[in-house]
Amino acid sequence: MYTQLRESLRSASTERQERRLPWWRVSRNVVNLGLTSFFTDVSSEMISTVLPLYLVFTLRMTTLQLGVVDGVYTGATALMRLAAGMAADRGGRHKEVALAGYGLSAICKLGLLAAGGAFGPLVAVILADRTGKGIRTAPRDALISLSSPPERLGVSFGVHRALDTAGALVGPLIAFALLTLLPGAFDAIFVVSFCFAAIGVAVLLVLVEGRRSDRPARPAFSLRPALALLEVPRFRLLVMAGAGLGLATVADAFIYLALQRRVDFPPTFLPLLYVLTSVVYLALAVPAGRLADRLGRGKVLVGGYVALAAVYVALLLPADGPVLVLGSVLAFGAYYACTDGVMSALASGLLPAESRSAGLALIGTGVALAGLVGSVVFGAVWTTAGLQTALVLFLGGLVLATGLLGVGLLRTRAAHL
Amino acid sequence: MSRGALFAVICAAVIVLGVAYVGYAALRTRPATSSPASVAAAATDPQLRAILAQPHLVFLQPSGGDPTQNVVTVAPLQQGTTTRVETGLRCARAYFAAGHGICLGRTLTGAGFLFDDRFQPGRAFDQAGLPSRDRVSPDGRYASSTVFVTGDGYSTPGFSTRTQITDVQTGESVDLERFTVTRDGQRFSSPDFNFWGVTFADGSRFYATLGTAGHTYLIEGDRAARTARVLTDEIECPSLSADGTRVAYKRAIPGAQRQWRLHVLDLRTMADTALAETRSVDDQVEWLDASHIAYGLQDQGPPPTLDVNLWTVPADGSGAPAMYLAHASSPAVVRG
Repeated sequence: MYTQLRESLRSASTERQERRLPWWRVSRNVVNLGLTSFFTDVSSEMISTVLPLYLVFTLRMTTLQLGVVDGVYTGATALMRLAAGMAADRGGRHKEVALAGYGLSAICKLGLLAAGGAFGPLVAVILADRTGKGIRTAPRDALISLSSPPERLGVSFGVHRALDTAGALVGPLIAFALLTLLPGAFDAIFVVSFCFAAIGVAVLLVLVEGRRSDRPARPAFSLRPALALLEVPRFRLLVMAGAGLGLATVADAFIYLALQRRVDFPPTFLPLLYVLTSVVYLALAVPAGRLADRLGRGKVLVGGYVALAAVYVALLLPADGPVLVLGSVLAFGAYYACTDGVMSALASGLLPAESRSAGLALIGTGVALAGLVGSVVFGAVWTTAGLQTALVLFLGGLVLATGLLGVGLLRTRAAHL
Repeated sequence: MSRGALFAVICAAVIVLGVAYVGYAALRTRPATSSPASVAAAATDPQLRAILAQPHLVFLQPSGGDPTQNVVTVAPLQQGTTTRVETGLRCARAYFAAGHGICLGRTLTGAGFLFDDRFQPGRAFDQAGLPSRDRVSPDGRYASSTVFVTGDGYSTPGFSTRTQITDVQTGESVDLERFTVTRDGQRFSSPDFNFWGVTFADGSRFYATLGTAGHTYLIEGDRAARTARVLTDEIECPSLSADGTRVAYKRAIPGAQRQWRLHVLDLRTMADTALAETRSVDDQVEWLDASHIAYGLQDQGPPPTLDVNLWTVPADGSGAPAMYLAHASSPAVVRG
């Protein structure tokens, strides 16, 4: 019965049919995009689990060094990401561009095998893998939004993010199982990772339908349409507030390290915190999306950042012990569930279909870059002035940015949710 | 062909590829852990006892892929010797002194164990992180271990090291981060303190590296008193000579990423000498005798491989590096 939905989302009859479906039903295209992300995340998390081991032992490099490479590269690819978004918008080729991104990352898994222990090629492969991620994200989110009726964007993104997070949970388990069974067989891990990535690409290639927007393709390739998006007041607000919030956001690793310093549990448990956060995110992604569709996406987004502020406050409170750890992880998972997909849903609702990829790339890049800067600043302040000072500073910034987002959303309240 | 059939065909092909490759990997991979039989056999192996009766080298034979599969091996203390006997113990980094050994990295996530002079595994310990350095004190009383603690991904910040000193008899471990550190007589502390590369002197005294704010200080510490003081800067992975007068160490090359030159510092005069090895060395070196050091160096090819060889160079800056033992890393000199 979904073929109808796929064919014409805008027809009134479909919308009526859609409304009669239970709230958690999303279009098959969204589920398939979620499966693509699931398999791709299994694949990529397998690699990120074993890569530090592989690099430290075979190349004798530190993760710090690679972290620097990765950080610098995130900045350098920002414009490229935007370009990929615009390319996807031209003629509505979201699926083709996303396919290029997923395909590149899949091939890179075999590239790891080919690079062997040689430093240069290995770094090149890792950078190409990141490029693939940069290319695919915005057109994929555009496809999700174009495959969903506007009033179900929240749930659609929730379903997608839940599948995505499930992949991130399963990947490390498979990697560790393989390493335990076949010690030292990193090549086997790379090949199995490639297989998962290939299935993800196959889902996208064969089962996902491309969504072309109704408008004719723009002939010229220029930055102007992407920048023109900034003239939409609510979208401009979202980009600016997103960047401000990104600046006040601390990288996961710092949150967990701060928790570990406060409560002084063995570092062995650090990976467990990542898992717990992912489980909370996985569990809350769909409900948060539903809540966003019902109450308004702006409200849930603001709520997500309030949850993050609660994490900061918890880290500043004198309380400690398991309550602090569990409470913080719960709030941190809720923060992810209420911001990541909801932000994309909110932005999608504001963007015209023909420039959706570029707009999503713009906002995604803005938040990511600001988050990178924020983490560097947080690390520096922690080192020089102490954890307490860093947390107070970032809490202040977060409250300010969240307040501005809230006020801005009220002021620009329009026909949109 | 329908979409579903096409998808099924692609998936089947991919799954066949994956299963076939894992099967191939399983066929060529050795068993995951030290086999109890080979470990027990080592205790009574006459060839091994013969080597142990003379000055010898305890080292690791690289496995070429998984560092936890490096084999603790023994050879006579003689350059280029072809005699070597595997003990059956496997780990990523090992050291041995005064009848006590430490093996770090029994698993990839950082567990380790102590072993005795019959190469039988003893007390096991958990230290989460990637195995990096380990040492046993000359009297066999203490063992130290350093691991890299990382986040779960290669792009996460917050990289650090953790170093502990364990009492071999009681198993009690102390983290160096709990020590009181002084610099120029003043209390010195910072949240970014990282300790690595312990080398033991006499009693409970030791030297190590303290990394903070871009500096890599040489510290002199006392395990019993839980104190340490900063001696000088730009010293990593010190290794104390048998007479306790000099440390051989690696010094970061300014401006270069992860490139180190080997130096020797005279602790009495603080005179510093660069050694004749010009290649970058990332290792905690070992003193072969009063005037030579040994260190592991990855086979640089061409083409580079995952194999590691032991090299030696004079400790006074003269001469030239020479291969000491092929296919070996993590050296420990034992002179009865």
